[in-house]
Amino acid sequence: MSGEALRSVDLRKIYQSRGTPPVEALTGVSMEVHRGERVALLGRNGAGKTTFLKIASTLLRPTSGSVEVFGFDIARSPEKARPYIAVVPQEGKPFFHLTPREQIYTYLRARGFARETAKARTEESLERMGLNEFADRLSVTLSGGQRQRTMVATVIATEAPLLFLDEPTIGMDPFARREVWSSLRSLTQKGSTILLTTHYLDEAEVLSNRLYIVERGAVLSAGTAEELKASVGGTLKVLIPSGAVQVEQFRSFGTCVTDGLSLTVIVNPHTLGDVMEIVERSEMTATVGPVTLEEAFLRAVGRSINED
Amino acid sequence: MKTSTPLAPSRAFAGTAAFLWTEVLVQGNERMAMLTSMVVPGIILVFVEILNPALIGVALVGAILFSTFTMGQRVLNEAAYLRIDHKANDLYLAGPMTPEAYFLGMSVGIMIIYLAPTVFLGVLAVVVVPLSLGTGLLLFALAAAVWLFAASTGYIFSTFFLDNRAIWAYSSLFFNVFGVLAPVFYPLGLFPSALRPIVLLMPPSAAAALVQSVIGAATLAPWQTALAAGGLVAETVAVFVFAIYWARRTVMAD
Ligand SMILES: Nc1ncnc2c1ncn2[C@@H]1O[C@H](COP(=O)(O)OP(=O)(O)OP(=O)(O)O)[C@@H](O)[C@H]1O
Ligand SMILES: [Mg+2]
Repeated sequence: MSGEALRSVDLRKIYQSRGTPPVEALTGVSMEVHRGERVALLGRNGAGKTTFLKIASTLLRPTSGSVEVFGFDIARSPEKARPYIAVVPQEGKPFFHLTPREQIYTYLRARGFARETAKARTEESLERMGLNEFADRLSVTLSGGQRQRTMVATVIATEAPLLFLDEPTIGMDPFARREVWSSLRSLTQKGSTILLTTHYLDEAEVLSNRLYIVERGAVLSAGTAEELKASVGGTLKVLIPSGAVQVEQFRSFGTCVTDGLSLTVIVNPHTLGDVMEIVERSEMTATVGPVTLEEAFLRAVGRSINED
Repeated sequence: MKTSTPLAPSRAFAGTAAFLWTEVLVQGNERMAMLTSMVVPGIILVFVEILNPALIGVALVGAILFSTFTMGQRVLNEAAYLRIDHKANDLYLAGPMTPEAYFLGMSVGIMIIYLAPTVFLGVLAVVVVPLSLGTGLLLFALAAAVWLFAASTGYIFSTFFLDNRAIWAYSSLFFNVFGVLAPVFYPLGLFPSALRPIVLLMPPSAAAALVQSVIGAATLAPWQTALAAGGLVAETVAVFVFAIYWARRTVMAD
């Protein structure tokens, strides 16, 4: 095992299916995931996140370009890369007629773990993902979020060197999501590497060391959450519910975004006072909060959409 | 790095026993399904008993072969369902478990679960036909070959579907035409002679014809015996080897 956990170079994918026009899902994606990192892929529906994950996890053939996993070319020798990886597929489901305990245990056994290890890991994973209460109920009787927790628990239990998680926390309540976050953090502390996708930008922000924003099959921007947020042009956002009509007064302070009647102004701490003074003078109200990844995402992707 | 995952490429068939056990657990919960596998052969046996009791031995042999043949239909349905609805291929095959273990573990697991009706029919055949030890062993070997052929075919077919609902029609067409319409439950002699070479090349009817010739229910020319036996062995080996190749080939979709 050598090299980066994952390196893709100019990866392209065109889906060809008979009777329908070809779909260009990836148009040249280059990225790296270093060992021990947690990296998130963000992007709108259809941006190409799942396509990238499937290719990188040896489940889909690239049209051109390359992906290496720990130095193994996934197209040329997928069987060499596979022992190092584990995948939570988008919209995967546990076996309905297994209990979560059986699901995790049999999965670990199928991956070659010894009985004792598999048993210990199963219990650890059930505990960690808060599944103990329904660990012995058939998955067919579990709620959607409980099933998804079972899927994540199954894959986390492998402690594989590289984990791919495609929308792992979809449908989970805020407590379960936090359990996933802490499980993933402790996995990377033990040496695993994680590449995940999510539409929850708060999750992406607290969980990942670095992020890639993907749009229409290409990397639009990349960096840490702080770096991406810096591109927004300020660290604070001022939301003025009835500010849209007065937008001109605020333009000199920073980026202004109107949405119906409301106005959001992106500012820095040293200009906040001036902005609030105008708000007060105009007898409007405003709330102030930190700029989040959501603004960075909307701005990056929104700008790209507007360019067409 | 702290990990006990095998870090070299997996041995061929690695994971078969574990996945077999998974499939036994998964299928074992469907007790009614086990019984429903007896419906078609059971009805045919009743009809034969009413219409021509002299043929009940032939029909019983047919029922045994049919029961192992339709295990392939279950492999087809199960493999497609797990891949499409559960994304089980993504979960299991992006990992150290080998694709051939997935295919074989699933097939053997399903076989074990649906074996009880076949064994029951076997016991009935020994008593009713009656089967000598030699004929019994021949029937056992032929039924096993038919199973391997059907399970391999079922797995290969399963990879071509994008939607489960499309499968039912094709799979019941395939398994009923070759398992019921062809002379499996009735003597080869009742089948149009011009079409006999075709059914002698289809594993379930070939196996049935071979047993029928041994128990005196059909007369086969030497070339017909050779065609049936040679065809059955060649097709079973070829389809099984291809299924393993295909299982490996289709992990990575195009
Ligand atoms: N099997 C397929 N055949 C043809 N086109 C496909 C296929 N799978 C995906 N696509 C197309 O490829 C593009 C990328 O899809 P992909 O599933 O990678 O998106 P995604 O970023 O994961 O979206 P989401 O957030 O909705 O999961 C989309 O335009 C999609 O319609
Ligand atoms: Mg997706």
